[in-house]
Amino acid sequence: MVTGLGLSGMPQHRPSPRFEPDVVIVGSGAAGGMAAYALTRAGIKTLVLEAGRDYDPVSESAMLKWNHEAPLRAIPTPDKSFGYYDATVGGGWEVPGEPYTSAPGTTFRWWRSRMLGGRTNHWGRHVPRFGPYDFKGKSRDGLGADWPITYEDIAPYYDRTEKLIGVSGANSGLENHPDSSPGVLQPPSKPRVPELMIQAAAAGLGIPCVPSRYAILTQPIDDAHAPRQACFYATPCGRGCSIGAAFQTTTSLLPMAMGTGKLRIVTNAMVSRVLTDARGRAKGVEYFDRTNGSTHFVAARVVVLAASACESAKILFNSHTAQSPQGLANSSGQIGRSLMDSTGTDITGHIPALEGRPRYNEDGKDNAHLYIPFWLYKEQAAGRLDFPRAYHYEIGGRFEMPGARFGLAGAEDGYGLSLKEDARRYYGAQVSFSVRGEMVPNADSYCELDPDTKDKYGLPVLRFHWKWSDHETRQIAHGVKTAKEIIARMGGRVLTPEMPPEQAIQAGGEIIHEVGTTRMGMSATDSVTDGFGRTWDIDNLVIADGGVFPSNAHKNPTLTIMALSWRSMDHLTMRMRKGDI
Amino acid sequence: MTEISRRVTLAWIAAVSTGGFAAGSSKAAESGSPASWSNAALPPVTGPGYGHDPDLKAAAVPWPLTLNPHQRAILRLAADLMLPADARSPSGGTLPLDAFLDEWISAPYPLQQQDRALIMPGLAWLDAETGRRSGQDFVSASDAQRRAVFDAIAFRDRIAPGYEQAAQFFARLRALMLAGYYSLPQGMADIGYLGNKPLADDYPGPTPEAMAHLNASLIKLGLKPFNPG
Repeated sequence: MVTGLGLSGMPQHRPSPRFEPDVVIVGSGAAGGMAAYALTRAGIKTLVLEAGRDYDPVSESAMLKWNHEAPLRAIPTPDKSFGYYDATVGGGWEVPGEPYTSAPGTTFRWWRSRMLGGRTNHWGRHVPRFGPYDFKGKSRDGLGADWPITYEDIAPYYDRTEKLIGVSGANSGLENHPDSSPGVLQPPSKPRVPELMIQAAAAGLGIPCVPSRYAILTQPIDDAHAPRQACFYATPCGRGCSIGAAFQTTTSLLPMAMGTGKLRIVTNAMVSRVLTDARGRAKGVEYFDRTNGSTHFVAARVVVLAASACESAKILFNSHTAQSPQGLANSSGQIGRSLMDSTGTDITGHIPALEGRPRYNEDGKDNAHLYIPFWLYKEQAAGRLDFPRAYHYEIGGRFEMPGARFGLAGAEDGYGLSLKEDARRYYGAQVSFSVRGEMVPNADSYCELDPDTKDKYGLPVLRFHWKWSDHETRQIAHGVKTAKEIIARMGGRVLTPEMPPEQAIQAGGEIIHEVGTTRMGMSATDSVTDGFGRTWDIDNLVIADGGVFPSNAHKNPTLTIMALSWRSMDHLTMRMRKGDI
Repeated sequence: MTEISRRVTLAWIAAVSTGGFAAGSSKAAESGSPASWSNAALPPVTGPGYGHDPDLKAAAVPWPLTLNPHQRAILRLAADLMLPADARSPSGGTLPLDAFLDEWISAPYPLQQQDRALIMPGLAWLDAETGRRSGQDFVSASDAQRRAVFDAIAFRDRIAPGYEQAAQFFARLRALMLAGYYSLPQGMADIGYLGNKPLADDYPGPTPEAMAHLNASLIKLGLKPFNPG
């Protein structure tokens, strides 16, 4: 069955006898999209298999729609977990027919989509760089695992990735928050009033508050196959961006790769297994056509897994053979282990000084134009903090488009004209602080195949185990306490109920920064891949997604996933050219 | 709505409405015990949701609405009291808040079904309580009689004993009406939401008036103001 791809009207091709790919990539999101871009640029015939349906943000995204035009004022429901207009297709916290389980007494939540471009169609687009410390955490504090690469190894790929995807923001010059090279970043956007107030209050407490970096264009990017416009400063990015200003692979990397003539994409192709030949090398993948359940095989010289950390781990588990009963490429036993998410909690406050302030259009970019990066490295090194690793705040507060959650910060009382006056007074007078912190991997947080539950294809599903340690709860306690101090400095009232950090910390997986399940390392005994995502056991099997992260800096992972994917594909290209594969 | 669920719903309404309006003396009613709250089991809502992949550009509500004309009339009158007209915006009862509430409590999702279990008996209670006081249901009662009932449940520090559950209903109704009202064009114009407009140029940031207000606030807080330019 041939379906339309929807990308600038380009035709979609099923693999035909005339198209024999050199490389098959599983997944079309951040990792798979970048892998396809890098490989096709190098002239390598590439096939992308995407489990979800074809998706075209140009024709499908609900830009500029009002909340009152959607059912229930667009509020999240079990059918659309991030609200009616969120771009996510076919999933969210639950994908019908494709369950996952959590071990008794533990909770892990796994966000998935089933669409071309994957989760890049709705992500937050906040793209801080990892810094030098973030690759060598174990050397610094003895916890977790170091990366086999350094910041210097990846820095050129950060520059190239930022330039390619388009990142607006500014260099901060702060410790372990690396600057981009000159000419890489597009200009940041002017901050809004609540952000400036937070900046002033934070400054009064010695805390920096600096321009955020977003994969959102403030200047257009010309390209023959994927021209993208600058942001027009309206509509939440999570709806998908029909003008290409908010980065997603469906308006950038995939059409650019398609433009080389070297790419084919098959959608609704749910990969179940990597198959190996008699010598134990990868020979291709098997997939189910989600539209009719039929099984297909695609042969390739190289298999690249870019299905997301947990999905790629699941594929490797389910690819077990007589020689590898614990899963393919799993001689280290590390597949599924070291599962990490970011820590998270939200603190909100009402600020009387912001009541009744003059109105203006505060839409801007989707998120705050400023954020608070971690600022306590020196105190931490001096042993003055009771937690390891760092966190940052993503801040909020503005005249938001009213929807189902419109309210008066808990001050609703009475009825009549006074209620209307209160609504006018309270609108735009709340601020929020979202803590995003680094978790240290632990032995109690991992995924494995569930011995009982199977999905609609008859394949075993993932079972998650999860536990936060004192490292994370102490970090959250610090983040909550400090946010309250900033709110107090603004003369505000904290709205978030008082609760212990064990309760305040969000469930594992909820920040949707899950990584680590196929980690890279220095040795085949304690890691799944080398520093280029090549599995130690099978040298024509490469992992390009966040599964390879040995640690998960507090900085949102997608930029690093893309930079690493590009670096790994350059290495793969070199090996293919030399005839090593 | 299927005939079976309509029948079940009508039976339920009859059950929770009995004994309401045959009130005796209105003097006794003012001070007497409040109307009782019905805990009768609600017929389940069984309509379809919109699914995991709805057409985002042609949004539609696929589930059937479940309120009857009388219940919708209660909601319109309640919305008029809740959010009356003034110079900046029309009254709630003239906007489709009754339709929004109907859509909400008829939706087959957990949060909305939880609200249904509060709003449905709450509407019946408004009739019963007004009837107990005045001998008329909420719709037929006078504006003053309706206000008297609202006054008993609307103010958090003035909830009379026995009115707690009705006050909980009122708070939820108020929250839903606020969200429903201020997300409509008339509400957004009142509140001063000025976005959702594509801009041709860079985001301009705060206006000079907004910066002046911020700086005045910062000075009061002993914080450093920004350069107004």
